[in-house]
Amino acid sequence: MDRDTILAVIVGQIREVVPELAERPIVETESMAELGLDSIERSEIIMNTLEAIGLDLPMVQLHGPKNLGELADLLHAKSRT
Amino acid sequence: MPSPAPDIVFAGIGAACGLGFGKASLIDGLLAGRDVFSTLQRPGRQAPDGVAPFLGIEMADPPSLLPARVERTAGLAARVAISVVDEAWREAGLDNVDPERIGLVVGGSNVFSREIALLARDYAARPNFVPPRAGHALLDSEIGGLLASHFAIRGFTLGIGAASASGAVAILQAAAAIRSGRVDACIALGALQDLSAMDLLGMRALGALGAPRFADRPGQACRPFDRDHDGFVFGESCAALVLCRADLAGPGYGTLIGAAHVADGQRGPEPDGTGQRRAIAQALAQAGLRPQEVDYVNAHATSTPKGDDVEADTLVACGLDHAWVNATKSIIGHGLAAAGAIEVAALLLQMRDGQLHPTRNLDNPIVPPLRHVIGGAQSCHLRHALKTSFGFGGIDTALVIRGAS
Repeated sequence: MDRDTILAVIVGQIREVVPELAERPIVETESMAELGLDSIERSEIIMNTLEAIGLDLPMVQLHGPKNLGELADLLHAKSRT
Repeated sequence: MPSPAPDIVFAGIGAACGLGFGKASLIDGLLAGRDVFSTLQRPGRQAPDGVAPFLGIEMADPPSLLPARVERTAGLAARVAISVVDEAWREAGLDNVDPERIGLVVGGSNVFSREIALLARDYAARPNFVPPRAGHALLDSEIGGLLASHFAIRGFTLGIGAASASGAVAILQAAAAIRSGRVDACIALGALQDLSAMDLLGMRALGALGAPRFADRPGQACRPFDRDHDGFVFGESCAALVLCRADLAGPGYGTLIGAAHVADGQRGPEPDGTGQRRAIAQALAQAGLRPQEVDYVNAHATSTPKGDDVEADTLVACGLDHAWVNATKSIIGHGLAAAGAIEVAALLLQMRDGQLHPTRNLDNPIVPPLRHVIGGAQSCHLRHALKTSFGFGGIDTALVIRGAS
């Protein structure tokens, strides 16, 4: 799965978990915290994304990304290892 | 300075059951004696293949009152609780009460049982993807947490478990919190008991669940105090009652003038007449009433042979055979955790209307004879009413209410 597809999956999961964001444009330079997501919502979005892209990783390996683009980069890198 | 023992009134009611959402549908359906019994269909609650279907009543989906991102994470019991508290809150005008003077007692335990069963089924093969919400939103404390996050409740929230007496014990605890001066208003919730198929299988194995005799006639299966009763029939329900200091709320629906809650020493489902009589005697003594001053009894009356027999004996032994008696479970089924609360709601609405609903399917009353409401609604002036509510584990409660007019 390429990096932009993974980004689209993340954005789709954000809109699933927070339906209030369905119509709002979401760009990769934004972070989930900037979108107003609480920590449990952020965890759910990442777990749902992992399952959707077929990755089974401990959450601790996913700390670090500052925005959605960096998260997509990290997941893309993990999916290739 | 609050008075040490204020009168406590019921200032607001919210209700949901198979008759609909809102107290108007409850009282209308009760007085009409509507038949809403069917076969239970919710996922996680259907009888397994090869097992006789479970009879009962399921309610419609609750109205959407929460933000979408919250609603999708809230279980059925929590969403229904929001709807009934919303109704009761508005009626009681709780927006005008200091949030720190408002409490909440949630009656019910294991209320998310069906959703826990579904989660176990859905994630058995992918345990690393269990949703994070499962770590808190399936605990019984979720109901109080969600309610206090949506409504301005900042006095306290408390969950209590008392089996089928949970709703009544919630009322007792709410009244105690007001009487002690801890809060001025307190919501007593009888939570929706979201039973799983496993819960129902256990109750069937125990012999508590009705229907073997009426499996093909759901509308006739629940028959409290009738000679052909053969066990309780589940009915989804939930109710909220706002209890309030009378000096702050006015007369409301009526005043709680006696309330008793005793342990009778039984571990399991066995009813105990001694405990029941003790609870009723204590509640009447607290109310300063003689038995003959009670006009109406809303009975626990589950439709289980032993339970109905012992309760009928209890009511006669307590000198209550002159009082009108009806069984709300004959119309809305047994709400388990919710039963005590929604049946007090039914009692208050009937007192206000001056009409009692019939007990359905009461074709051949058991002995000893009681003054049952049979056939259709009965008009009468009700000054004082008694509510009995009993729970597995030897829990006996009695509430005495004086009507507002």
